[in-house]
Amino acid sequence: MTFRSLALSNVRGNWRSYSAFFLSSVFSVMIFYIYAAFIYHPDVVSGHILAAGKVREGMQLCLYIIIVFSFLFVLYSNSAFIKTRKQEFGLFSLFGMTKLQLRRLVIYENIVIAGFSIAVGIGLGVLFSKLFFMALAALLGMTDSISFAAPFKAVWMTAGGFFALFFLISIWSVLRMGRTEIIDLLKAARQPKGKLMYSPWLVAVGAICLGGGYGMALVMDSYSFVLLALPILVTVIIGTYFLFTQLSIIFLRFIQKRKGFYYKRTNMLIFAQLGYKIKDNARILFIVSILSAVVMTALGTVYIMQIQGKQDMLDNSPYSLAYVENGLHSHNVIDPDEMQRIMKEEGLVVEREAKVIGFGLDRYWITFEGNDSVTLGNGHEEELEYQPSAMVISASDYNKMAADQGKPPIAVESGKLTLLYPNFDDSTYGAGVARGIVNGEKVELPISGSISERVMNNWMDSNSVTLVMDDLSFVRWMSAIPEEKQRVFFGFELKNWEKTAQAVERLDQLVTPGMEGETDFGRPSQYVDMSQVVSLTLFIGMFISLLFFIAAGSMIYFKLFTEIQEDQAQFKGLSRIGLTKNEIRRIVVTQIGIIFFIPCIVGISHALFAMRSLDNIMNTSNWFYSFVVIGIYVGMQTLYFLLASRSYMKSMLRGSAA
Amino acid sequence: MSVLKAQGLGKIYSSKGNLVYKALENIDLEVESGEFVGVMGPSGSGKTTLLNLLATIDRPTSGTIEINGVNPTKLSDNKLALFRRRELGFVFQDFNLLDTLSLKENIIIPLVMDGMSPKLIEQRLTPIAEMLQIEAILEKRTYEVSGGQKQRAAIARAIIHKPSLVLADELTGNLDSKAAKDVMDALKEMNETFKATVLMVTHDPFSASYCKRIVFIKDGRFFSEIRRGSNRQAFFQQILDALSVLGGNFDDVPFARA
Repeated sequence: MTFRSLALSNVRGNWRSYSAFFLSSVFSVMIFYIYAAFIYHPDVVSGHILAAGKVREGMQLCLYIIIVFSFLFVLYSNSAFIKTRKQEFGLFSLFGMTKLQLRRLVIYENIVIAGFSIAVGIGLGVLFSKLFFMALAALLGMTDSISFAAPFKAVWMTAGGFFALFFLISIWSVLRMGRTEIIDLLKAARQPKGKLMYSPWLVAVGAICLGGGYGMALVMDSYSFVLLALPILVTVIIGTYFLFTQLSIIFLRFIQKRKGFYYKRTNMLIFAQLGYKIKDNARILFIVSILSAVVMTALGTVYIMQIQGKQDMLDNSPYSLAYVENGLHSHNVIDPDEMQRIMKEEGLVVEREAKVIGFGLDRYWITFEGNDSVTLGNGHEEELEYQPSAMVISASDYNKMAADQGKPPIAVESGKLTLLYPNFDDSTYGAGVARGIVNGEKVELPISGSISERVMNNWMDSNSVTLVMDDLSFVRWMSAIPEEKQRVFFGFELKNWEKTAQAVERLDQLVTPGMEGETDFGRPSQYVDMSQVVSLTLFIGMFISLLFFIAAGSMIYFKLFTEIQEDQAQFKGLSRIGLTKNEIRRIVVTQIGIIFFIPCIVGISHALFAMRSLDNIMNTSNWFYSFVVIGIYVGMQTLYFLLASRSYMKSMLRGSAA
Repeated sequence: MSVLKAQGLGKIYSSKGNLVYKALENIDLEVESGEFVGVMGPSGSGKTTLLNLLATIDRPTSGTIEINGVNPTKLSDNKLALFRRRELGFVFQDFNLLDTLSLKENIIIPLVMDGMSPKLIEQRLTPIAEMLQIEAILEKRTYEVSGGQKQRAAIARAIIHKPSLVLADELTGNLDSKAAKDVMDALKEMNETFKATVLMVTHDPFSASYCKRIVFIKDGRFFSEIRRGSNRQAFFQQILDALSVLGGNFDDVPFARA
């Protein structure tokens, strides 16, 4: 047996411990390769795929994330392996293996594992890259597919990068193996794992950090984001660490004092064992919690952004199709018959429509009393050529549209205007004055105030701002304005507007050239654009999340299986003195459940606070959607838990039956 | 009243090839309530097999066992586990204490698993711990105490639930002679003050001299039986004589339990 074959057979012998680590490594190599393959795809590099520019940068960022993550993951796994194999190393030393040889052994083993996972990872990556390209092409809305290619640079970069990563980490961890006495190595597994000790200081630090981080997250808004984001991150991470290393001990001690609960059948064994392993478990629970929080927060953010983006579009453009004609019977902007014909051809169904007659307030300039910081319009700068116009409508028209759109009606002060001006933070303005030109005459109209609401699309030159007037005054004003100077707003809300982008494109062609400024047909295509960005982000981010998820699971899995022998011996002893199989199952499954779900719960708590501050920043409330994301995560975690506890229980019973 | 009644007990191990090995053959054994019985025999004589059968960890291929009027071979796995927990107490050579628990928690496992109230548990524990002189170390963990202390804790666990029968397997095998004496004294006291019925398997004549009756087996069969008079010293000599008649190898390390 050569030295190298010893290393090889070591890997084979420890396969079960290695498998989860190996799979996660393969997965990260694969994802890395696929992203790299796209970035260095000949068609992308040469710029043939125009849309690729949208995702290239995102993917580049993902590559960095994968590398940093893989580094930490491999580092952790490596030190965990070395720790679990101390006894074995002790035995080798006892047989006279020198320290140098021992180190070489470990490095050989790591090279074997690294070589395998890189080869398999790239192999799978090449295999699945075409599938990935196809999905990407579909999401980018490309007509011709991205051809299959295995760019040499991507292969080289993946292989080289990961090999260097594995190699450096194994050298580093080998150097850290250090100088332990053989007797300590041999006894390693049997050494007591420490008592339930905690430091009141660290407990206080943990509680303050966690509380402070959560508190800051609650008060954070878009203004303080830059200032608070980093401190929140740091305090929450520190707090989580002490939560698991210190607060958990207080909790366990508390339970052990509650004899009524603690001495209740299997509880004693479950909690005693948790306490016994707490030091080992704390670190892994901490890492997994943070990973869970990151995954949930990221997915939740993207999801909420999409929901919120759609809501914003609906708020900004209450009608999917809208235009303004100047003159009661004029059709300068678009021919209504043609429009109807095309809409019929394309099968567009109008859900609700509005035709609102009002008059224009040209070259408007709106100021507010006691608030110099806000003015609307540029009417006071008379030399300015381009001056959008405001539109005045009647209160009954407003209320009719508001009712159609499910918004509350308003009452307008007689003789005064109400400004419709949706503010980002729903703030409103007080009394003021609107100046401008109506029907060629300079006028000055009092404003009673503004409301943060919109019932008409305002992205048009002749209706860039809408003012509401009480019906009586409105009729009086209108009677003085000739029909050809009156202004008409047309609005059509389409059924299934999300899918009408292409049809609406045709309507866009119909608009009289030069009159595009009087139309707002943009919502369907905006939505398509946004959906594309979101689905691309989700698609690319999904793999990263999956990578995190699998890695987190693999750490727990690895942890379980390194302890299985100890557990087998224990449960064998317990069954000798008369514990039933069901009781043993309850003990084991509860413990695995705690290890799987505690990080999940802490992660959820973090994610909820993160999403809460996201709501603060965006001035929205999206709890429902946050819970959808969390629900999916919990579901996946449950699945993982069921699989893990089943396979664990099986191999444990097999081991303890013998 | 007899607590244990085994009749015609036999155990045959057969492997896939037609290799048949008779580990035990036609053993009759009866233990009265409050008795302290030892089983001795050379290595490979079937002591451990016999104990495993009585402990209901293994099933006999022939014969019947009755413990406190119940035939455990007829019970389902689940009921059997409960039967072991309630009717039997065990003391093992390797202590079989959990590292994760304190000594106290180890001792009270049988009561906790049966759902006894914490108050009653304390009431049960106190006199036993006092008698075994382990009150001071109850909160310690297994790796903080000596072998003798561990074994005394194991004895406490074996009798705390007042089992019908305490089975002890080479309980002094891992102890030095001073600790072995302490442990045997403790077991004897349990037998005398708590009227615990004890069946002990051993190959150590000194430990065996604490018994009131010793059954010798050889090659899986009953060989002879001796009873103790009033003097333990004389009994010890008697045992040595019996062993020399029995022959076989007593110096080896006892079976490591797989």
